[in-house]
Amino acid sequence: MLSKLHLPCSAAEAVDLLRLGGWVIGGGTVVMPKVNTGAVPVEHLISLRHAGLAGIRVAGRTVTIGAATTLAELGAHDELRFLHPVISSIASPPVRNLATVGGNLLVPQPHGDLAVALLALDARIDVLSVDGTRTIPVDAPVARHEIVTQVHFGLPNGQWRYRKAMRRKHNSASIVTVAAVLGDDTRIALGGVAPRPIRARAAERILAAEPGAAEAAAEAAREGIEPFDDAYASAWYRTRVLPVHVRRALLGED
Amino acid sequence: MASRIVSLTVNDRQEELLARPGTSLLSALRDTLGLTAAKRGCAQGACGSCTVLLDERPVPACLVPVETVDGASVRTLEGVAADGQLDEVQQAFLEDFATQCGFCTAGMIMTAEALLATNPNPTRDEVVEAISGNVCRCTGYAPIVAAILDAAERRRVSRRPA
Repeated sequence: MLSKLHLPCSAAEAVDLLRLGGWVIGGGTVVMPKVNTGAVPVEHLISLRHAGLAGIRVAGRTVTIGAATTLAELGAHDELRFLHPVISSIASPPVRNLATVGGNLLVPQPHGDLAVALLALDARIDVLSVDGTRTIPVDAPVARHEIVTQVHFGLPNGQWRYRKAMRRKHNSASIVTVAAVLGDDTRIALGGVAPRPIRARAAERILAAEPGAAEAAAEAAREGIEPFDDAYASAWYRTRVLPVHVRRALLGED
Repeated sequence: MASRIVSLTVNDRQEELLARPGTSLLSALRDTLGLTAAKRGCAQGACGSCTVLLDERPVPACLVPVETVDGASVRTLEGVAADGQLDEVQQAFLEDFATQCGFCTAGMIMTAEALLATNPNPTRDEVVEAISGNVCRCTGYAPIVAAILDAAERRRVSRRPA
């Protein structure tokens, strides 16, 4: 049973409170549904709302985003327009006013489209524990005693592509999500087809050898996926349509 | 249990309440302050029936731990009509048959208010995106979209300099 909601004023204070064994709560879009139904098995909630982790900095080509920045703030940032289609494909405007960048990294698929985009961008995250900060790839696991403090990445060197197949035009979790930076170092990330965002490495290898081989790369994107059934689509359907959306992303088709 | 005193400005009135850990803004509004326009639907941020304006931005009130927004300003449907006069959005919903059972209406209107405050001349697509987090199981949405566009037009006319 919940006994206290903590409001630490810094990331260090928040990490220290994690010793109590509680849950971190960012925007509340994942934790509050559990609180509302009494299904929270912890005594302590540690809110990051006042921990000083919100904000976006663009310095030259380097982007740094605080973990408690809301999706709405990111979706309104003038210098990061290429990410606006990613943000507007996630949930609804009221939910985006609460949901945080850090939280999006940690939700299971088929949610977490921003995490897919950040994987394509080769983003790094800073995670803080009582032992200090370490910087890890955006798809590396974060331990229970750690807090994501910020995300950083370089503006894409190459063409940016993002496609998300949804049940309807707005406010749907992903059937298949494709994010890619096309260029000398092509990176393709997939959502909706595994428990976590994954790289389409076989497809990347084909494009590295032959940049025009979009069809073959799209077929190869199935390699290594672990699709699942849920309310949005079956594993069979996700597998069936994945190459279509990868091909469209690679060729810039709608 | 470490309850906390929370101050809010709700519909321009100063309020103070005692919140148990994890109490949602929705529960504080409905159960403590008696403001029952915002509805408790899904309690997981998916239906939009509890949408209120938190510091002028629409949010599902069920997802906000009220302790985290101490000092904030909140507007609910109860704070929309001025001096008993329905505003343009409310009037358009009424005249355009945009409400049937009424359960979604408070959330729909608050979402529409937020849209029109930042975008007084929205396109149909912008209206559809704005209300994409508000579920209505009666109307099929068409009268709601029409009412919001109508409200925008009413507001432009009423605020046009003479």
